Amino acid sequence: MLKVIATTAKTSFSRSLPAFSTCTTRLAGEIDPTCRKEAPKIDSDTVTALPEEAKEKMVYECTICVPTKVDLSPITGVPEEHVKTRRVRIYQPPKNAMQSGTNNIHHWEMEFDNRQRWENPLMGWTSTGDPLSNLKLEFTSPNEAIEHCEKNGWSWYVDVPKIEKEFRPKNYGLNFSWNRRTRVSTK
Amino acid sequence: MLRQPLSKALALSPCARLAPVTGRRYAQVQAQPEKVEVFIDDKPVYVLPGTTVLQAAALVGVEIPRFCYHERLAVAGNCRMCLVEVEKSPKPVAACAMPVMKGMRVKTTSDLTRKAREGVMEFLLVNHPLDCPICDQGGECDLQDQSMAFGSDKSRFTDIHFSGKRAVEDKDVGPLIKTVMTRCIHCTRCIRFASEVAGIDDLGTTGRGTDMQVGTYVEKMFLSELSGNVIDLCPVGALTSKPYSFAARPWETRRIDSIDVLDPLGSNIVVATRTNEVLRILPRTNEEINEEWLADKSRFACDGLKRQRLVTPMVADSRGNLTPVEWEDAIVAAAQAIRDCPPEKLVAVAGEMADAEALVSLKDLVNRLGGEHVYTEQSFPLAGAGTDLRSSYLFNTKIANVEESDFVLLIGTNVRFEAPLLNARLRKAFIHKETDVALIGPNVDLTYEYMHVGDSASIVKELASGTSNHEVLKRLQSAKRPVLILGADQLKTPEGAALLAYTQELALKLQGKLEDKEWKVLNVLQRNASQVAALDMGYKPGVTADALKNAKVVYLLGADGGQVTRESLPKDCVVIYQGHHGDRGASIADVVFPGAAYTEKRATFVNAEGRPQQTLVAVTPPGKAREDWKIIRALSEVVGAGLPYDTMDEVRERLADVSPTLVCYGEVQDNNYFAQAQALTQALHCYFAIKRRLISPECIPLLYGALSDEGHPVVVLRAALSDPVSM
Repeated sequence: MLKVIATTAKTSFSRSLPAFSTCTTRLAGEIDPTCRKEAPKIDSDTVTALPEEAKEKMVYECTICVPTKVDLSPITGVPEEHVKTRRVRIYQPPKNAMQSGTNNIHHWEMEFDNRQRWENPLMGWTSTGDPLSNLKLEFTSPNEAIEHCEKNGWSWYVDVPKIEKEFRPKNYGLNFSWNRRTRVSTK
Repeated sequence: MLRQPLSKALALSPCARLAPVTGRRYAQVQAQPEKVEVFIDDKPVYVLPGTTVLQAAALVGVEIPRFCYHERLAVAGNCRMCLVEVEKSPKPVAACAMPVMKGMRVKTTSDLTRKAREGVMEFLLVNHPLDCPICDQGGECDLQDQSMAFGSDKSRFTDIHFSGKRAVEDKDVGPLIKTVMTRCIHCTRCIRFASEVAGIDDLGTTGRGTDMQVGTYVEKMFLSELSGNVIDLCPVGALTSKPYSFAARPWETRRIDSIDVLDPLGSNIVVATRTNEVLRILPRTNEEINEEWLADKSRFACDGLKRQRLVTPMVADSRGNLTPVEWEDAIVAAAQAIRDCPPEKLVAVAGEMADAEALVSLKDLVNRLGGEHVYTEQSFPLAGAGTDLRSSYLFNTKIANVEESDFVLLIGTNVRFEAPLLNARLRKAFIHKETDVALIGPNVDLTYEYMHVGDSASIVKELASGTSNHEVLKRLQSAKRPVLILGADQLKTPEGAALLAYTQELALKLQGKLEDKEWKVLNVLQRNASQVAALDMGYKPGVTADALKNAKVVYLLGADGGQVTRESLPKDCVVIYQGHHGDRGASIADVVFPGAAYTEKRATFVNAEGRPQQTLVAVTPPGKAREDWKIIRALSEVVGAGLPYDTMDEVRERLADVSPTLVCYGEVQDNNYFAQAQALTQALHCYFAIKRRLISPECIPLLYGALSDEGHPVVVLRAALSDPVSM
C-alpha cells in the first residue's frame, strides 16, 4: 500500500512539497531531503499496552502455517452443489489468433465447466445462474492451481497446450534464393 | 578421406581399421554451429547464427512490436514497426530481418527505438481511417493496441486542405472475407499466406507509395480451402469475416477451447459464444495438429449449428409424420421397439460426428441386449487383420512428422479437401524441407508440384512387387523417411482390400530398409472424426446390406451419410435416429432423439492419428436436446438393460476399460504390428488383380458447393445440408 502511494504521488507532489510532511502516509523512496520523514507514528494503544496484551495481540495477528493439506470446502460457504458437481479445467490461455501479442497469456488459469447462459429479456444482456462462471483466477504454475482446487474440494484436470515449436532461424534472403522453393513470386 | 584399396586397409592394425568407422559416425551427426551471444536490453542470450534480432528477443521474453512479421510466414520487413536500436549502428534496424551478430547489443526500450516506433506509427495512421467504432477488428486490433502502446500521444495530422485520407476501393474476394481496403496498412501478410501456405498466388500488390493497393489483380474469388486464415492474420480490420461482420465485440464473447470435428484431424479451436449462441470459431495453436491455421469448413460451419436443428424428441404418428413429443414418450416408444426386437435384428449405425462416449454407450447397450450389429458408416476392408490392429487404420506417421519426411506418396486421396491442414503441412514440407510428393489417383491440384504416377490402383501393386519401372519406386526406395498416405474412401469398394494389402506390403518393404527404426511409413487417412474411436471400440466398419436387410430396429447415431435408406430396410423396420441435425437420418426415422452438437457437449473425439481430444461445452443444446451418451443411458434403463455408468467420469472409466488410449487426452500412442497386419492379409490370399481406376476424389471443395442460392454466404454443416436443393 505504502509503495503504491509513493509511486503515484511522486510526480504530482514533488514540486509543492512542504519542508516536512503534513500527511500521515509516508512517501517512501524519496531521496529529496525535504521529504525525509520523522519517526513512524505509533498508535497510542500499542504504546500503552501491557506486555501480556501486546503478546496476545501478536498471537492474534500472526499467521499459522498448516503443514498438511486441508479441505476448506465445508467452511468456505460454497454450496455443496458447486463443490461436488463442478469440474475445474486448469489451462494456459491460448493466444488470440486475431492478434500477435502474447503478453497476457504467460500464466495458468482455472475455469469451471460451462453452464447455461441466456439472453436476459430486460436488457438483452447475458444472464447465467452459475455463480462460478465469472471466477477467473490466475496462477503462475499449474501446481498452484491444483493446490487451490484441492483446498476447495473441486475436481480438476490439467490441459497442457502443445505449443512448443521447433526453432528455425528466419531468413530474409530465402525470399530471393535461386535454388530453393522458398523463393517468392511477389517481393 | 582418401579412398584406400581394401587390401591396404586390412593390412592396418585393428585399431587403425576402426578409425574410419568412428569418423563416419561423427560425420553423421550434423555439426551444430556455435551459438553466438547477443544482448537484448542487456540480457544475454545465446542463439544460432542467422537468427534474427526479433527471434532472439523473443527467446528472452522481449516482444518487439510488429505488423508484417509473422513467425509462420516469410520475412517481409516492410512495416518497419520492429525497428530497434543496435549499439554502434548509426540507424535503427528492422529486427525481423536483421540477423544477429556476435556481441550485438540491442536496445528495445531506448529513446531512439521509441522514437522510431512513434514515427512509424504516425505514418501508418496518416492513411488509416479512424473508424474503429464501426470496425470489426476493434478490440482485437494490433494497430489499435500498438498505437496505444507505442504511438504518439497527439496527432500532427492536420488536413488543412481537406484533401482527406487515402481511400481505396474495397475488393470482392468471395462470400467469406469482407474487405475494407482503406484500412489496409500493406503488411502483405495475406499475400504471403496466400502464396506460401495456401498455395494460391492470387493476392498481390499494385502501384507504389500512396497508390499501393493489396488485392487480386483482376476481380476474382480467393478460392482457397484455407482462406479464412487471412482474417486472423490481418493485423487491422482490412480483412474481416463476412459471416461474423458486426456480430459482436471480442470483449462480449466468451471463449471456450474445444476441438473441431468436421475433418479427421481434430484441429484445436476456440469457440466464441454469447448468450448461448456460437458466434465464431477461431483456431487455437497446437503444433502437433493444426499449428495455428484452421480450414474454412471448420471455421465457417458454425452457422449451421443454428439451422435445421432437432430440438425436440419426435415420434412418427399413424400417418408417418414426425410429431413432437415429450422425452418420456419418445424413449418409451424406442424402448418398446428395441424390446420387441430379437437381438440379432438390432442394428446400430454410427455416423461421422459421433463422440466416443456415445459410441461406447450404444455399443454396450446393443451388446447387453445380446446383439452384435454395431457398424460405422465409413467402410474398411475386413480381410486379413482388418481393424484388429490399430496401425492398419491410423495415420501412423503423425501429422507433424509429415514435415520430416523426404518423400510422400499419396494414394487415391485429395488431401487438399479431405484434410486441408495436412495438405498445408505437406506444402510446408515441400517448400521448406524440399520434400517431394507423388500422387496415384486423378490429377488434382494440390497447390504444389507433385509427380503424377497415374490413376490406376494397379500401380500400387507394381510398386509393392517391385516390378514397376516408374521413377517413383526408386525415389521411395532411396528415401530416408518415406510416407505413404492412403485415402480411406478408396477402401469402400470390393477392391479396397487388395489396395490396402498392397499398400501395406509396400510400406513394410520400405520400412524394413530404413535406418530410422522409429519411422512409420503406412498411413490411412480417415474421412471423419468418429471412425477411429469407433474402430478402437470394435465397431464394424461399413454397414452391410445384409445386416440392414434383416433388421427390425435400426439405431442411427448421427448416421446421415446415406448408407441407410428406407429402400435398404424391410417395410416394418423401426428406425431410431439420434443426432443434432434434421438430415437424411432423421427424415427416415420413426423415433427421433435430439442430441448435442460438438459445441454443446463435453465429449471425446479421436482424430486420424489416434489422438483423443475432448470438446468442451460452449453452449447448451437447443430446446430439449441432450448430451448423446445420456440419451442412450436413459434408454437403456427403460429397455431393461441399464448401463453401469451414471456420470461422465464413469463413462470415461468405461472408455479406459475398452481401450486406455481413448482417455490419454492429447497423446498419441505409437503403433506397430505392421508386419503382423501384412502377414495376416497375405495369408488370406486376398490379392487379386486390380485394374480398375481409383474412385475419383472430390475435386470441388464441399465448402464452395454449399453456398446458398440467394447468394447469402452461408456455409453450413454437412449435416445441415439434408436437402441441398432447397438450400
